[in-house]
Amino acid sequence: MPEEEMHRSERLKHLGYEPPDESDWVTGLHPMDELLRGERLPHIWCQGCGLGTALTTFIGALQWLEKNRGWDLDKVAVVSGIGCTGRIAGYVRLDSFHTTHGRAIPFATGLKLANPELKVVVLSGDGDIAGIGGNHFIHAARRNLEITVVCVNNFNYGMTGGQVGPTTPHEARAVTTQYGNFEYPFNLPYLAAASGASFVARWTVLHARQLEWTLREALTHPGFSFVEVIAPCSTAYARWNPEGRGLDPEGLGRRGLEVMKHYQRVGRTMHGTHPKDAEIRVNEKGEIVEIIEGKFLDDPKPDLKAAIDRQAALAEKWWLAEKKALDSRPRFPKRTDRVPRTEVQLGGFGGQGIISAGRIIGQAAAIYDGLEACFTQSYGPEARGGAAGAQVVISSDPIHHPHLIQPTSMIIMSKEAYSKYVPTLAPGGTLLIDSGLVKLREDHRQDIVTYGLPATQIAEELGNNRAANTVLLGFWTAMVGVVRREAMRQSVTDSVPPKTLDLNLKAFDIGYEEGLRQRAGGHPLVGEG
Amino acid sequence: MAYWRQPLDRDRVRVPQGIVHIIEDRCKGCGFCVEFCPQHVLAMSRRTNAKGYHPPEIVDGAHCVNCGLCTLLCPDFAIYVTDGGARIPDRIEPIRRDEGKR
Repeated sequence: MPEEEMHRSERLKHLGYEPPDESDWVTGLHPMDELLRGERLPHIWCQGCGLGTALTTFIGALQWLEKNRGWDLDKVAVVSGIGCTGRIAGYVRLDSFHTTHGRAIPFATGLKLANPELKVVVLSGDGDIAGIGGNHFIHAARRNLEITVVCVNNFNYGMTGGQVGPTTPHEARAVTTQYGNFEYPFNLPYLAAASGASFVARWTVLHARQLEWTLREALTHPGFSFVEVIAPCSTAYARWNPEGRGLDPEGLGRRGLEVMKHYQRVGRTMHGTHPKDAEIRVNEKGEIVEIIEGKFLDDPKPDLKAAIDRQAALAEKWWLAEKKALDSRPRFPKRTDRVPRTEVQLGGFGGQGIISAGRIIGQAAAIYDGLEACFTQSYGPEARGGAAGAQVVISSDPIHHPHLIQPTSMIIMSKEAYSKYVPTLAPGGTLLIDSGLVKLREDHRQDIVTYGLPATQIAEELGNNRAANTVLLGFWTAMVGVVRREAMRQSVTDSVPPKTLDLNLKAFDIGYEEGLRQRAGGHPLVGEG
Repeated sequence: MAYWRQPLDRDRVRVPQGIVHIIEDRCKGCGFCVEFCPQHVLAMSRRTNAKGYHPPEIVDGAHCVNCGLCTLLCPDFAIYVTDGGARIPDRIEPIRRDEGKR
C-alpha cells in the first residue's frame, strides 16, 4: 500500500515510529489511543477533573469526522496555551503547539493565515483565553478567522492552586477570595458573540454526547467558532464551593463526581438562547444554581480569508489599471553622463507641496533619468500649517546612506525652514527661496549663492497658489541642472491632478525660464553667481 | 411489573448489545462511568488497581446497550465499549433509577 493511503496509525508504524518507553501506559488498548501520545500518558489531571472528558469528546468528534466526513487528521493542528488545559496539545497525537500563556490564538492565527488548508483548533483554559489572552480572543472573533476555539472553563486558575480568575462567578470562593469573589465574571458566549463570532455554544462536560456533536459542528463551521466547556475543577474550585460538597457515599472525596452531579441538576439546555441571557447564575452563597447550555449562535458569514481574497482581487484589478497607465508613460533616452551624489533639501510649511515637490524630483531622477534617488520626509504633527521638510539624494551610483550629509541645494518656502535648514547648506551651495515669503536675515550667510523668486505670487497670478512648488521646481531644475528638464516635466505631469496639469506645466516653464534668465544674468540676491 | 405494557412490535425491536472493556490500571476512580451509566451496568469495585484507586466493575453486562457514554465521559481513557451485536429482548422493562447501584 502506498504511504499516502495508509491510515495514520499504520503510517506511523510503517515509518518505524516507536514511542519512547517512559511510562507504564500500554498504548493501543482504547479506541482513542491512536490519537493519543501514549508516551506522555497517563495525564496529570486530577481524579474527577473534567479536562479528560473534554479531550475524549474532542477526539470523539475528530474520529467521527475522519470516518464520516473523510477528514485528513494530518491537516488538523491543535494549539494550546498555558494551564491544565494547555497540556492537551501535548497529549494529542496531532500536529500540536504548546504556546506561551495567553498567546494560543495569535499562534493559531499565524498558522491559519500561513497555511489556510489547516484546520486549526485552539484548546485552552479560561485563564488563558479570557484572562491574559482576552484581547487576542476578541480580535480573532472580530476578524472571523476560521479557527475553532474551545475554552475549557473551570472557573479558576487550577494549575497554580485555585486563584480567582476572569470567569469565577460573583460571590463564589477561590483560594484568593475566601469570603466570596467581589468581581463579576465574563459571560464568555456573550463576549464571543458581541465580538463577532459566528458560532457560539456552551456545554458542561456532563453533556459529553451533546458536546461531541457541537464540536463536530464547530469544527466544520466556516468562520470563527467558539465552544465554552464547563468542567469541574475537582481539587481547587470544588474544595471551596458548595458544588463539591455533596454527599459522597463512599467517603472517597470524589469532589469531581459531586460537581458533575450538580451539573446534572442545574444544567438547562436552551438552544438558540440569546448569548446575553445564556447566564451561569449563582445564588448569594456563590453556588451555581443554573447553567444555560446549548448552541446559542450559528450564523455563518464571510470569514477572514474570504475577505482577504476579495480585497486581493480588487487590489489586483486596480493594480492592472495602474500598471497600464504606468506602462504608457513616455521613455526618455538613457543618460550617459555621471551625476555625483547630490543632496537637495526642501523646506516650508505643510500644504505648500514640499513633500510632493521632493517626490517629483526623486521620481524624475529615478524613473525618467535612470539615476538612483532616495527621498525622505519630515514633518510636524500638524497636517497643514506645520513645518514640513523633504530630503532627496540623487546619484548615478547606489545610495548607501539615505539621509542628507550636507545638502548642496535648497528650496525654502517659509521663514521657519529658512532658519532651520540654511545653516546646514554646504559652503558654495545654492539656496532658492520664495522671495515673497522669506526675508533674508541681516546676517545671511555670504558663502552660499542665494536666488529668489516670488513663486507664490506667480502661482497666484496663474490662478492657483498651490502651484508655487512647481514654479520653484522649474527654477531649481534650471539652476542646479542635475535632472533633465523633460524628466522633471514628465514627473510633474504624473504627479499633479489632471485638472491642474496645464496650469502646473505653465508654472514649471515660468520657473524654468526665470531660472535660466537669472543664472545667465548672474544676479543672485546674495553671494557670487 | 406485571402491568407494564409491552409494545406491539416487541418481536421486531432490536436492542444493541455492548461489551464493556475496562482498562483497570488507567483508572483514577472518579466514578463518572458508574454514576452516569444509563443502564447501571457498572459499580465501584472493592479492589484497588496499581495506582491505588478503585476501578469500576461490571455488575450487569447484559444490560449494556453500547451507547458509549462511558467511553466519552471517562477522563482517563480507561473504559470503552465494543459492538456485541443486537438481541431481541425477552420483555421490555423500565429501568429503575436506583437499580444497579451499590
